[in-house]
Amino acid sequence: MITVSHLSKTFVNPDGKVLTVLKDVNCEINSGDVISIIGPSGTGKSTFLRTLNLLDPPTGGSILLDGEDILVKGYPVHKLRQKMGMVFQNFNLFDHMTVLENVMYAPCKILHMPKELAREESLALLRKVGMSDKADVRPSSLSGGQKQRVAIARCLAMKPEAILFDEPTSALDPTMVGEVLSVIRSLAKEGMTMLIVTHEMKFARDVSTRIFFMNEGIIYEEGSPQQIFEAPRRSATKAFVQQIHKEVFELNSPDFDFPGMYTRMTRFCIKYNIPEKRETTETITQLMVDEIMADYRPLTVRITHSDLSEITALDFMVENLETSPLQAEGVNPASLEKIRSLCKEVIEEPTTRGFRVKLIL
Amino acid sequence: MRRLLLLLSILATLSLGSCSTKGQESLQLHSEADLAGLHVATIAGSCYDIDLSKRNDITLILYNYEADMLESLLIGKSDVIVTDEIIFNANICRETGIKIAMKGTEKFPSAFMFRKTDRDLVEAVNATQRRMVEDGTMARLEKFWLEDEYLNAAYFTHIPEETSGTPIRFATISSMAPISFVVEDNWYGIETELAREIAKDLHRPVEFKMYDISSAMMALKTGKADVVMGAIFITPERQEQFLFAEPYHDYSSAYYVIDRDAARNKVAFWKGFKKSIRQNFIQENRWKYITSGLWETIKITFFAILLGSALGVFLCAMTRSRRKWVRSIAGTYNWLMAGIPMLVLLLILFYVVFAGTSLNATIVAIIAFALNFASGASGVYDTALSAIPVGQTEAGLALGFTRLQTFFHIVFPQALKHGLPLYQAQCISLLKGTSIVGYIAIQDLTRAGDIIRSRTFDALLPLLMVTVFYFILAWLIGLLLQSTLPKKKSL
Repeated sequence: MITVSHLSKTFVNPDGKVLTVLKDVNCEINSGDVISIIGPSGTGKSTFLRTLNLLDPPTGGSILLDGEDILVKGYPVHKLRQKMGMVFQNFNLFDHMTVLENVMYAPCKILHMPKELAREESLALLRKVGMSDKADVRPSSLSGGQKQRVAIARCLAMKPEAILFDEPTSALDPTMVGEVLSVIRSLAKEGMTMLIVTHEMKFARDVSTRIFFMNEGIIYEEGSPQQIFEAPRRSATKAFVQQIHKEVFELNSPDFDFPGMYTRMTRFCIKYNIPEKRETTETITQLMVDEIMADYRPLTVRITHSDLSEITALDFMVENLETSPLQAEGVNPASLEKIRSLCKEVIEEPTTRGFRVKLIL
Repeated sequence: MRRLLLLLSILATLSLGSCSTKGQESLQLHSEADLAGLHVATIAGSCYDIDLSKRNDITLILYNYEADMLESLLIGKSDVIVTDEIIFNANICRETGIKIAMKGTEKFPSAFMFRKTDRDLVEAVNATQRRMVEDGTMARLEKFWLEDEYLNAAYFTHIPEETSGTPIRFATISSMAPISFVVEDNWYGIETELAREIAKDLHRPVEFKMYDISSAMMALKTGKADVVMGAIFITPERQEQFLFAEPYHDYSSAYYVIDRDAARNKVAFWKGFKKSIRQNFIQENRWKYITSGLWETIKITFFAILLGSALGVFLCAMTRSRRKWVRSIAGTYNWLMAGIPMLVLLLILFYVVFAGTSLNATIVAIIAFALNFASGASGVYDTALSAIPVGQTEAGLALGFTRLQTFFHIVFPQALKHGLPLYQAQCISLLKGTSIVGYIAIQDLTRAGDIIRSRTFDALLPLLMVTVFYFILAWLIGLLLQSTLPKKKSL
């Protein structure tokens, strides 16, 4: 259906800075595909979606729709957009119309559908997304989830062949994410071709036929949900799908800001919803850095946390070291005992560059 | 509507409660030396102004209109007013309670004024004047107009006028009896009669138009008029720039003061109000000035808004252009329009830019106001459009509307709501701004009030009437604009 090759997009800021968002995107989208586009922020997921319906015209490459180049001059872009709907993060409902008018406006004005017919079809669509009882209210009185459902109905009213979802749940209160996702899920069941930029990993895994993992302006890895989520081939993909967060501290100078490190660790624990591990983290780090590994410098300390597995780990890494610092002479057994009691698991392993002590909390 | 009535009643009360007389002796004047220490009022730019401004022992107050000057005397802002002795005739003195305290000793020769290059016309005028002196016409005119005979007789004009050929265009700076004045679209007065005699001898039609003194001179210089009249005194400064015909009469000045001896007949409030209304609007069908002025104001306002709004669209498109140089052109234009006083723009267009064309003054005024309005309108559009989030446009485009459709179906209806109050304010400010078109001899609503004032010497009532009409027009503009807002959106 859509063939994208060597697609690139650069923005020029008003101050003349050139920003390359898409470097070289290649993919094939087939009719009936439900593709979730995942990846870290700022890697061009939304931009990629917006280049597909030319809201942001690409700077290079080609997009073929059923074999026809849509980037040639004079291509009827509005016709293309009628076939390829879009749902926005911020809903973008027309505030000066009622819910029903929002849905029936485009079919009336663009497809010249008779008003009565348009009204009937629009009401049916509103019923489908569960919003028919709000048909005559203004969008401003709706909740975010309701707005997004109306936006989906508005998009469906044009009977598109494919729909682009640009982070449809990112602007929603967590309690409202479900209602929108269930609407999208039911569309997937009906076989609608969809491209969904999303941060809802579980949803992406359940609903998609294929996953695009975007990173650094390209489709970094592509595959079935099973493959991407369970057996990612590349480490960046793995880190992302397991939702591993990390923070690294390099203790390489006598000026190192120790209090600052503890503040950042505390912040890390709060940010990733593990406040209960705050104290343990600090105690262990203090014991390791000030006592057991006080003589090992430079020392790299890393805290990681995976949302998916809910595992938090503290890594202490020293270069050019072959034996474990925990086994070295002169280590206070009491301290060692304390560490072992605070951790679920202690892993001592040599790495390619040195030695690592991994403490699983 | 209730607010309008309230306004009317406030204005009516204001207009009548303004004069008060204290029980004192009338001011005595024996020579010009007696003026020392007094507040003296006269007409700006007149020869009295030139004379008296040399004295530093008096406070000189300058007015543009005789009616204002008279009012200043009546309410005690000035002690004495100096002007031509013929201006306030016996009737007016009696009605308003003023009197001549002293006549000036100096004589002021008065003559028609011409462009330096129009020597032939001057000769022709001189010839006519000489003929009139010889055949006694001049003497008869002087007797009728300058000795107050006209007060008790029907104004006459016995001279048949030519109807074909290029007219001689007289720019008069006087709309007062007995110099030159209008009654129901006809010009009367001693200089008017003189002008008709001249035209008759030249076999050309005449055309009279009222100007301010400064605008009249500009009009003469730029060829918008052929002769300036209206009791023009010959001064050396004027002789440097213009030619004068032989003086037809020597006027003398008079010093008017409040006549405290005359028992002013106190009239009841309602009776006085009725009398003022009759004098200012009914007599000589003076309301016609108001209606024709109103029409002129409506025309200028309406077309300036129309043209300006359209120009504003282009200007707004330029301000929002992606190209920097296009934006900077629009920016410069807005900067110019914000800085140039409207009056200066109007005068430049009339006397410089369109000087060589035969473009009607009303059209020039429409263009001037449209140019200015475009800048304001463009700002209003820009503000209104900026208030609509870009997401609305994107949603429209994504649904398959073209850019143009997106603008008209989705962005514009929403921007309208934001911009309308600002736009309405711009329109009303334009409406009131048009009151300066009198400077290029257009008889608009404001000038209509001035003409009535110069005939009735009533300083306030005509202005108040004019104000009421501006209020009504502003209200209508609001009504008209609000009606463009759809009450309920329907597909």
